[in-house]
Amino acid sequence: MTALRRLGTSLAAPALAVVVALVITTLVIVLIGQNPLTALQVLVDFGDTPAQQTQAIVVILNRAVPLFLAGLAVSVAFRMGLFNIGVEGQYRMATVVAAGVGAAVVLPGPLHVLLIMVVAMAVGALWAGIVAVLKVTRGVSEVISSIMLNFIALGTASFLLTGPLRGSPEGASIITTERLPASAQFPALNGLFGALGLAQPRGQLFGFLLVAVVVGIVVSVLLKRTRFGFDLRATGLSPSAATASGIDARRMVVKTMLISGAIAGLIGLPDLLGRTYSFGTEFTAGLGFLGIAVALLGRNSPLGIAFAALLFAFLDRAAVPLQFADIPASVVTIIQGTIVLSVVIANEVSRQVTKRRAGRQSGQATPPAADATGPAGTRIDARQEAGA
Amino acid sequence: MAATAAPGGAPAADGAPGDGVPYAVELRGITKRFPGVVANRDIELRVRRGEVHAIVGENGAGKSTLMKTLYGMHRPDEGTILLDGRETTLRSPADAIAAGIGMVHQHFMLADNFTVLENIVLGSEPTRRGRLDRAEARRRILDISDRYALNLDPDVLVEDLGVGDRQRVEIAKVLYRGATTLILDEPTAVLVPQEVDELFGNLAELKREGLTVMFISHKLDEVRKVADSITVIRRGTTVGTADPKTTTARQLAELMVGSELPSPETRTSTVREAAVLQLDGVTVAALTGRPAVDDVALTVREGEVVGIAGVEGNGQAELVEAIMGLRALTAGSIAFAGQDVSGWSTRARREGGIGFIPEDRHRQGMLLEAPLWENRILGHQTRPPAVKGPFIDRRSARADTERIMSEYDVRAPGPDTLAHALSGGNQQKLIIGREMSAAPKLLIAAHPTRGVDVGAQSAIWELLKDARAEGLGILLISADLDELIGLSDTLHVMLRGRLVATLDPASLTPEELGGHMTGAHDGSVGAA
Amino acid sequence: MTKAAALLLAGSLALAACASDEESSSASGGSGGSGGGEDLKIGLAFDTGGRGDQSFNDSAVAGVEAAIEELGGEVQELSPNDDASNRGELLTQLAEAGYNPVIAVGFNYDEVIAEVAPQFPDTTFAQVDGSNADGAKGDNVTGLLFAEEQGSFLAGVAAALKTETNNVGFVGGVESPLIEKFQAGFAAGAEAVNPDVEVQVQYLSPAGDFSGFGDPQKGKLVAQGMYQNGADIVFHAAGGSGEGVFEAAVEAGKRAIGVDSDQYLTAPADQQAVIMTSMLKRVDNAVQAFIKAYAEGEVEGATDVTNDLSTGGVGLSTSGGYIDDIADQIEEFEQQILDGEITVPTTP
Repeated sequence: MTALRRLGTSLAAPALAVVVALVITTLVIVLIGQNPLTALQVLVDFGDTPAQQTQAIVVILNRAVPLFLAGLAVSVAFRMGLFNIGVEGQYRMATVVAAGVGAAVVLPGPLHVLLIMVVAMAVGALWAGIVAVLKVTRGVSEVISSIMLNFIALGTASFLLTGPLRGSPEGASIITTERLPASAQFPALNGLFGALGLAQPRGQLFGFLLVAVVVGIVVSVLLKRTRFGFDLRATGLSPSAATASGIDARRMVVKTMLISGAIAGLIGLPDLLGRTYSFGTEFTAGLGFLGIAVALLGRNSPLGIAFAALLFAFLDRAAVPLQFADIPASVVTIIQGTIVLSVVIANEVSRQVTKRRAGRQSGQATPPAADATGPAGTRIDARQEAGA
Repeated sequence: MAATAAPGGAPAADGAPGDGVPYAVELRGITKRFPGVVANRDIELRVRRGEVHAIVGENGAGKSTLMKTLYGMHRPDEGTILLDGRETTLRSPADAIAAGIGMVHQHFMLADNFTVLENIVLGSEPTRRGRLDRAEARRRILDISDRYALNLDPDVLVEDLGVGDRQRVEIAKVLYRGATTLILDEPTAVLVPQEVDELFGNLAELKREGLTVMFISHKLDEVRKVADSITVIRRGTTVGTADPKTTTARQLAELMVGSELPSPETRTSTVREAAVLQLDGVTVAALTGRPAVDDVALTVREGEVVGIAGVEGNGQAELVEAIMGLRALTAGSIAFAGQDVSGWSTRARREGGIGFIPEDRHRQGMLLEAPLWENRILGHQTRPPAVKGPFIDRRSARADTERIMSEYDVRAPGPDTLAHALSGGNQQKLIIGREMSAAPKLLIAAHPTRGVDVGAQSAIWELLKDARAEGLGILLISADLDELIGLSDTLHVMLRGRLVATLDPASLTPEELGGHMTGAHDGSVGAA
Repeated sequence: MTKAAALLLAGSLALAACASDEESSSASGGSGGSGGGEDLKIGLAFDTGGRGDQSFNDSAVAGVEAAIEELGGEVQELSPNDDASNRGELLTQLAEAGYNPVIAVGFNYDEVIAEVAPQFPDTTFAQVDGSNADGAKGDNVTGLLFAEEQGSFLAGVAAALKTETNNVGFVGGVESPLIEKFQAGFAAGAEAVNPDVEVQVQYLSPAGDFSGFGDPQKGKLVAQGMYQNGADIVFHAAGGSGEGVFEAAVEAGKRAIGVDSDQYLTAPADQQAVIMTSMLKRVDNAVQAFIKAYAEGEVEGATDVTNDLSTGGVGLSTSGGYIDDIADQIEEFEQQILDGEITVPTTP
């Protein structure tokens, strides 16, 4: 199989899924008595003035950054067969503690930001580490324990926010941590628009975008190019073969969950360091769950996740203009849901196709499992499956 | 008729042998192409009604493709299929079943928690007013069972049945659907000798009742015992037919491989003094009951092949896993090259120089959905040429995979091919090549030629012999008694987790060994 | 595993979409009828829950519609996305599109309105449940506040007068300062009637987790617990979760007190029998009054409009007539509050 052909197959599935999702969404829009073309137009209409258009780009990128990080966190665990559904709790805990610590210390600019990032990653890793430890020592399914820890995180974050880390005055309707000093605020990237000769948008482009890109590259290299990444993927492909090859599965579970949790810890930081400067009761929740969808859409590869996050953000942006066009914003959610569903189905189909094609390539049409035949010669088996 | 190099007998124009009765199955010029590959080419096959016709060939020779054609799982690109003299198009297995062709798969497709009756009728249930008519089903099953001496009890749960019984259920299932031609895919692969004999008894009954049996195998002795005629397939095409009465197994095998056959025998002893593996009192707990491995002591020296014989499930798998550090010891110690490695991790043992050919390569030996070069790395993640520091060296890994592919005759398009696209033999050769590449001091070889065709088998034997001559110590676990007797310098018999006998392979027949394995001669020859 | 998860996820996304579909209907005015240049173009940004929450969002809509009825004009409604991360966008785009005034519903707009309003000095903003007395959110923002504690005080009075077990309950949606005002007032009112009355207090979710406003199951569970522990009247300030409280009351044969709007009017018959009264929070009146003031050029900005007992912004409903017999006593307490003889606490 040529590389081009393989690339074609891997791109065909998501592309097909997007098309299927668009068809379904069109039907839905027609069913509610609206014009799907209007919806499409709203999706791609970024505004009339250059400033509005760059602002739309800012909105998309700002939304994509946390989605990308969330997808990345989920995918790292996915790659070794772990379903880290606890990203939600991990980033919540990480953000509240990082916000508290960041407000409590005084450091020069870059160091302050760095400290907050380290704290957030450490807390996220720690929270995910609980899941890992429970799994390797007690055999608790990571799905169960991470869901439970999500609830515990909600409660704990709330306790921290209303108790020791409360920074907002008594009686304020939104409870927040203390505002981060200027040294802890991540500078915006708006200079970029000037440098590119584009109109200055109204809002601020998260500087954290750079961190997300770096994290994406690091994760990509880690997974594809390092021994550790090989061990991780091998464990995901076949835990038994990985163990037999000398990989310590338990240690891998712990390490992988720590990495996944550390990345999860960063999810809240674009907002914290670039917009709100404090963690409050109205802090964006649910990114951890969206991350699962993004990871699936991106087929667990960092580049794919970047595309998936941008696609989700692109659709999310339209939520407001759609309402101006009298189309319910939930159309966006419908598109996103159907895309994810179609991608999962399309992935499975393309996997089967690739497998079949690979099977034909070598001229061996038998399924791989069907060749455990006996050798020529005398042979005594107690049972078909004995000792397997 | 002896083995000939062309399909035997002048093909009659009306698809009938000399006696005027049409062939039950006749294939003419069947060709099946897959993209880039011709899986079957000009297949000529003639099967008389009421005979047992064996189809032999190496793995990957195209037997399965041919059988799928005949069972309607895909359509041939060229050629015609004649059933009872009539040209037939089979679009699906349902067509094949309707045409009286039934397939008994090598891997049974039975629901464990259903009864025999339920399994047999599943998919073609007789109903009375919409409900399963058990009485009618029972009557027909007992009728089939009596007629072909299948000896079935319709009300037993399948999970309580042995392998041989399950196979008879599969056969009954096919007969229940009215098959007159049965295809049996490697039916003896999963059976013990007694069960094989019973199966052959059943086949005789089927034949007596006028049914036609097509029997796929590469166990030549069995084929000669049971078949009335034999067709040999090599490299996708029929290379000849043979009369089992006049053809020796060796002749058949040579027809299959197209060359002289190897034998596993090793000639001179290369055993040296230094021990590479010493097990002392090794005990491994089982989930319940007595230990899976019980107080095993043995020594493997440099240049020595130590064989472990035993009916499967007597602790060999657990022993192997204990040596590889995949299973904890409850007692005893494992010394490798003079060092106690009982507490070492699997990785440390592998790094130290223990090579491992696992018994189930799909489960423990390969990443099926990964390319070959990644499989080259598996188990060698910490050593060159696969890695450079903490990084994977993709280029070297690919290059070394290509080297293994050429040195070990792994037939695959390239190092980027996914592992599951390879035949079992090629997968196994890749594993062996990989393990040998690290220059191990000790090789744990569990069933190294299982599921491997004759050509690959001999290649693997040669590899092991060469490595032994260079001083490699090998612990060989196998169910192939010829292999064990032929390769081993020392042979232990394992029964219920214990080594119950130590035998000299130089003066041992497979029959004697078989007796020890079942405990018949327990401890009679120099207990370990 | 991943496949199953994906299906689950996609399913839930789709469900969520369907669920919120009902709630966020299209803008009532529509952008088509622009009418005369004098017409009001009112922007209305909802909080999570959006239109159709049968609570403060809907109440705000009612206020806007009443204002349009009176003054003419149109309204553009916007709902935030599921995680409400685009609240700022809602306000910005309304202002950019020329809507004026722009009304944000809910205290969750506190931070974003402070960011957005200064960027649009020519637009007049109002925030329901948000204070701008100090002008920190900009000179063009008016806070529409409610003395929930006063209304809740009267609810507490009614409960304490009506209880036969000397035991009443309070179910709060989310443990936030706003809902704590309800709790504080209710407890104070109950204790003002009878210092020995037991007031059970429970919140459905902690601060930062807004699920407590939309979880009728949990509301029911908590209320059931309170009835079992001896309460015979439960007051809820839990938005959509209140439905569960009413169900629990029906099943237990006890009574409940509604919140925000006169819930007796929208409840099914079996629940009408148990809704003793509702603590009214007239968001509609406040919004209508604000729009009217804007139309008449009387909005100053950087101020709060507090709607309390004196303005009729809060109070008790009498539908069903269950509290007619104690009307005098309630009025007495109301008068004491109006006279300043009683100062109702705002924190528990």
